[in-house]
Amino acid sequence: MNPLLPFIMAGDPSLESLPRLLAEAKALGIEALEIGLPHSDPIADGPVLQAAAHRAIQRGATPLRVLETLAGLTESPDLILFTYLNPLLQIGADRLMELLRPTPVKALLVVDLPDSEEVEFEARLRSAGYPMIPLLSPTTDLERAKGLLERRPDPGPGHPFAQRFAYVVARLGVTGTGSATDLKPVGERVAALQTLSSRPLAVGFGLSDPAALGAVRAMGATPVIGSALVQALAAGEGFGSFLNPRLA
Amino acid sequence: MRATNMNEGDRPLASLPLRPPRAPHSVSGHSPATASAFLLPTRFGAGGLGGCYAPETLMQPLLDLEEAFRKAVEDPSFETELKSELRHFVGRPTPLTSAPRLAAKLGLKALFLKREDLTHTGAHKINNAMAQALLARRMGKTEIIAETGAGQHGVAAAAACARLGLSCTVYMGVVDMARQAPNVARMRLFGTQVVPVEAGQGTLKEAVNEALRAWAARCDKAHYILGSALGPHPFPTLVRTFQTVIGEEARAQVLEQTGALPDSVIACAGGGSNGLGLLVPFLGDALHRFAVEAGGHGSALGEHAARLDGGRMGVLHGCKTLLLQDQHGHTAETASISAGLDYPALGPELAALALDGQIEVLRASDDQALEAATWLCESEGILPALESSHALALLPELAKRGFATVLLGLSGRGDKDLATYQSKLGI
Repeated sequence: MNPLLPFIMAGDPSLESLPRLLAEAKALGIEALEIGLPHSDPIADGPVLQAAAHRAIQRGATPLRVLETLAGLTESPDLILFTYLNPLLQIGADRLMELLRPTPVKALLVVDLPDSEEVEFEARLRSAGYPMIPLLSPTTDLERAKGLLERRPDPGPGHPFAQRFAYVVARLGVTGTGSATDLKPVGERVAALQTLSSRPLAVGFGLSDPAALGAVRAMGATPVIGSALVQALAAGEGFGSFLNPRLA
Repeated sequence: MRATNMNEGDRPLASLPLRPPRAPHSVSGHSPATASAFLLPTRFGAGGLGGCYAPETLMQPLLDLEEAFRKAVEDPSFETELKSELRHFVGRPTPLTSAPRLAAKLGLKALFLKREDLTHTGAHKINNAMAQALLARRMGKTEIIAETGAGQHGVAAAAACARLGLSCTVYMGVVDMARQAPNVARMRLFGTQVVPVEAGQGTLKEAVNEALRAWAARCDKAHYILGSALGPHPFPTLVRTFQTVIGEEARAQVLEQTGALPDSVIACAGGGSNGLGLLVPFLGDALHRFAVEAGGHGSALGEHAARLDGGRMGVLHGCKTLLLQDQHGHTAETASISAGLDYPALGPELAALALDGQIEVLRASDDQALEAATWLCESEGILPALESSHALALLPELAKRGFATVLLGLSGRGDKDLATYQSKLGI
């Protein structure tokens, strides 16, 4: 089982340092990593990721520059591009596929794209090898979850974790560590979702300390660490020194 | 209309019974292969604007909201309740006032003002805020979240919540809090918590971002009263359904007063609650329909909030519509002297009607709006809101184009803008 799914914001602390961070992640044994595309209106993000996106945009981390920076990188975990829809729509499906091809991006997680919208756009990306990761939140009942998992299907064991997992949102609200997430209902939730399918599950929102990450692993799921890592990197802490104690 | 609770002397509220849109410009199933579980049309116009681009956490709350809305508008007791609040609390029907001196000054034969400025709390926003607050109560929600730009929607939500005993939190950009300070005080007097939003430009867009985040955190207990005809489905449909009372009344009143329809109808448009509210009931009529956007202080991106010319199709705050944005798909900055029009996206139904040629969209600059406000003050003794002044500013243009009888939506009163009028007009 993949022990950790880290999230970083592209362009924060800088675009220049991104290839080195990704190489470090790979050297640490990180299999997959979510990379955030900075957006002007991140409606699902808390203060830490809002600020990181804002800093990255101020420093010129446009979607095109981010994808150009990723092009040709081989020393990198598999990447999941974590983004809002509008920048992708403006690029367009054809050009987006072209831009993604030379990068380590294996899948997309588009926060504000339910599977009922832009179906043609999504289908084209999927057939080009860029599936959308399904999100399951505390408001998603099991019946709805079943439909979501079918409409954004697991491509199967021959494919990497980055393309297979479903993202379980651990609590209501936005990303960030403002309040510790109560893990008891999360455990029940994960157990219920595991009865629906055998695909890997990642659990995120409000997880940061090693104990919480360990508790998620004990559920048989991969913990996501985002805001706490972004905050540490922005404060100058090393990728390895922050993540080492948090790897199983 | 169904006759319920009609006491002698009561004049009918022309908008009821409530009718969610089934107009020809609404199309459903724009994407035939969708798995959408919504039952009402989610898209507008030939271009299929609107939709529901929401994070998964909000999808079930939005489905629940649509269901509650559908049941409410079919339930006579909701109609009775809403009608009673609109009459006895909001002060509907609002008058249609003839403005002969201003008409003569501008070269029009006749000018009629639909007086939303005379509603309780001073703008059309209360029509929707009260209706959604009643809906929230039916849904068993105890908390209300709202965003506000000019503060009129915030004040309306605050008043409705105080009346119905719901707790209310309003998100407002810090720049708007400064320029609409009287409305901040009014909300606080009504017991509402006003949360300053410092991000970005500190205006309506950031307030909506924060309200959406707050709703995602509290959606099990809270209802979000969106104030404009935008956001993810079903909000655009809810808001236009609850606001068309404006145009339904105005249409009946102008027929009653003059025996004929005017040759043009005009309203200002930020998101579109006022624009759709006035113009939609006139869609089947042979007359010209105008919406006026904020021209700000220039024509470059960032200097205005004129989405029709300046915008490209994009997704913001849950819907696809004309959006002011840069080449990267980041939302552009906007500028307007009027906080209520200072928003980067045109509501999807209004944008669809504009693109399909049913409504002509014009723009008025900050300076034109300020000057137009003085005309109405001096000629008719009415102080308009800065938003409504944008519609007034286009009257000379209408006269020049040969329109003679105009019905104008006076969306709100200008008391909240006194500080701006004083400083800009040197009075």
